[in-house]
Amino acid sequence: MAAELHRAGEAVVWEAIVGLAVVPTAGQAVAVVKWKTDDKPVKIDKWDGSAVKNSLDDSGKKKYVENFGLIDGRLTICTIACFFAILALLWDCMHPFPESKPVLALCVISYFVMMGILTIYTSYKEKSICLMAHRKDPTGMDPDNIWQLSSGLKRFDDKYTLKPTFISGRTKQQREAKFTKSIAKFFDHSGTLVLDAYEPEISRLHDSLAIEK
Amino acid sequence: MLSLDFLDDVRRMNKRQLYYQVLNFGMIVSSALMIWKGLMVITGSESPIVVVLSGSMEPAFHRGDLLFLTNRVEDPIRVGEIVVFRIEGREIPIVHRVLKIHEKQNGHIKFLTKGDNNAVDDRGLYKQGQHWLEKKDVVGRARGFYQENSSVEDRNYLFLILEL
Repeated sequence: MAAELHRAGEAVVWEAIVGLAVVPTAGQAVAVVKWKTDDKPVKIDKWDGSAVKNSLDDSGKKKYVENFGLIDGRLTICTIACFFAILALLWDCMHPFPESKPVLALCVISYFVMMGILTIYTSYKEKSICLMAHRKDPTGMDPDNIWQLSSGLKRFDDKYTLKPTFISGRTKQQREAKFTKSIAKFFDHSGTLVLDAYEPEISRLHDSLAIEK
Repeated sequence: MLSLDFLDDVRRMNKRQLYYQVLNFGMIVSSALMIWKGLMVITGSESPIVVVLSGSMEPAFHRGDLLFLTNRVEDPIRVGEIVVFRIEGREIPIVHRVLKIHEKQNGHIKFLTKGDNNAVDDRGLYKQGQHWLEKKDVVGRARGFYQENSSVEDRNYLFLILEL
């Protein structure tokens, strides 16, 4: 407990809330748990590649108002595929085989077609884009500028690449900047993401693109 | 005090990411389900892969062997073939060989089965008053099999028998 307080300055408030809320009353301990972790520093297993990438991506996204179009597309495809699977299951329960054969065949084929669509979608449309954001133009006359954030972290490699792309709504031109750094620069030895090292990098890239409007 | 540090990863996800994780799991389950249903449609049998449960077909099949079945309408059942059938009122299918067949002009079939390793035919196993099996009791005909601890010679011999 003391070590945690020592390490995470902002987390003092959170720890205090939980500490106060745990009141042993007649042998029972009631713990009020706060779900959101916005003020708690991010701590992950530094050897887990996907956790590292996710935490860096999430921190990078904090500046922007996210537009969920791409992600929603992927979620829709997956939901439709699962719907076909559930339909097949229920239909087979209600009308035992072999009467259900045509419906089953249809569902199976549709499911694998959806899988194919999903694969194509993730490979081509999404590529490695992890964030699409709209920055509304302040004058309100021109169409929105679009910010795209793309990131990459190869398996078992420590070089993380962050690539924001700026697409001007007015001129439809695309500008991008990127940086590749070792993740060792952003995490301390215990796996906590040090925002003080990471945020300036993001701001620098963002400003370099924003300036040349 | 309740420490939920291990749930930190989950708490950091927003609603969409949580839903995506649920969907991911659902898709894994659905893929397995769809492959099974797909096999059902292709083979025409309601249980395309079965496990041999008793030793009544030795030395051909031993307990624990996997059998691959098909149940196509175009393939007629003939004497000497190995069929998997279900007796009315019983859940568990039985794997035995066809002994006798009565066939009508319109293709309607009545047949009798016996396990290779049994001394008598299956009339004792059938329902009370039932002497013959019909097409509707058949789950499928064995087309291939998989045996865990067989030697290469045994496997070749059995493949020949099943006319693969």
